[in-house]
Amino acid sequence: MNAKLLFPLIAALPLLATSCATDAHYVQTGDREQIINLKQINIQDYAKAASLAVQKLLASPALDRVTTPPALVELSRIINNTSQQVDTDLLTKKISIAMLQSGRAVTRTVDDKAIGYQQQQAYLNDPRNVRLPDFTLSGKIIETVERAGDTRRTTYTFQLSLNDTKQGVQVWEDEEEIGKQGTRAAVGF
Amino acid sequence: MKLSNYGFLALGALVLAATGCSTMNTVENVPVQGQRNIIADRRVITDPDLARSVAIIAVNTTPGAGGLLRAQVEVANHMQSVQRFLYKFEWFDANGMQVNNIISANLTEQLEGGESKFISSIAPTPDCKDFRLKLLSAN
Repeated sequence: MNAKLLFPLIAALPLLATSCATDAHYVQTGDREQIINLKQINIQDYAKAASLAVQKLLASPALDRVTTPPALVELSRIINNTSQQVDTDLLTKKISIAMLQSGRAVTRTVDDKAIGYQQQQAYLNDPRNVRLPDFTLSGKIIETVERAGDTRRTTYTFQLSLNDTKQGVQVWEDEEEIGKQGTRAAVGF
Repeated sequence: MKLSNYGFLALGALVLAATGCSTMNTVENVPVQGQRNIIADRRVITDPDLARSVAIIAVNTTPGAGGLLRAQVEVANHMQSVQRFLYKFEWFDANGMQVNNIISANLTEQLEGGESKFISSIAPTPDCKDFRLKLLSAN
């Protein structure tokens, strides 16, 4: 092919690729079109961290070591050590749903009305019947940034601990790392 | 100007360099002590390229804590370059109804050239005894 024709064609390819506008459409979380940002935790990052962590939690016998199954777990504090505002429910709610569905744990409610009714019943009945949590689930999200020229590598580390409230020890721990590298945000992985 | 044969060769080399061909070497103990419970499986291949770059080697299961079944699939990349892919485990209860939660999320994974890896999942409920693994190429 004539080079005079070939070079403009090659030069036009990136322009064609970047100028393709897409109409809004529904997508599935974590699909092939997922948006990847280097400076923020994407929705699929929470999903991956929660999925891998809960699989390890359910594979562990830690939740079964209670006198009255299913274990009662209270979702405790998730420390956000990243540069962005994070709603940690995006992580803990997924884990809570999976724990409940497995039948091996129930989670202590955070609903004010439910807590009020429970305290009312404890007052009317024997307060010693109030069940205290067997475990608390706590954690931390850490952001690590490394740079080489224009290339940025961001690693989000999700740490989770299941703490035994009777013995004051951690009976299960997990750490999931989600790493992303590039010079700019992208669609697709 | 015409692209000579050398030009095409150089272009090919550039493409190979850009895709980063490198493969993985491994070493492991023999004889292997752990025995995998390899199970029979049914495979549906609609993407032959993906079947080469994320080839399914074997599927094994084991009963896990709390009566939850654990499934593990060994996949291998028979190509020279890194392959990124999505995978998703779907779980079904005793009535064949799908049980959905975060365990069935789409997860990203990658295999280096020549690498084999295990991807695993755990049943979301003790009722779930059947599963299906879905694999999707990044491209």
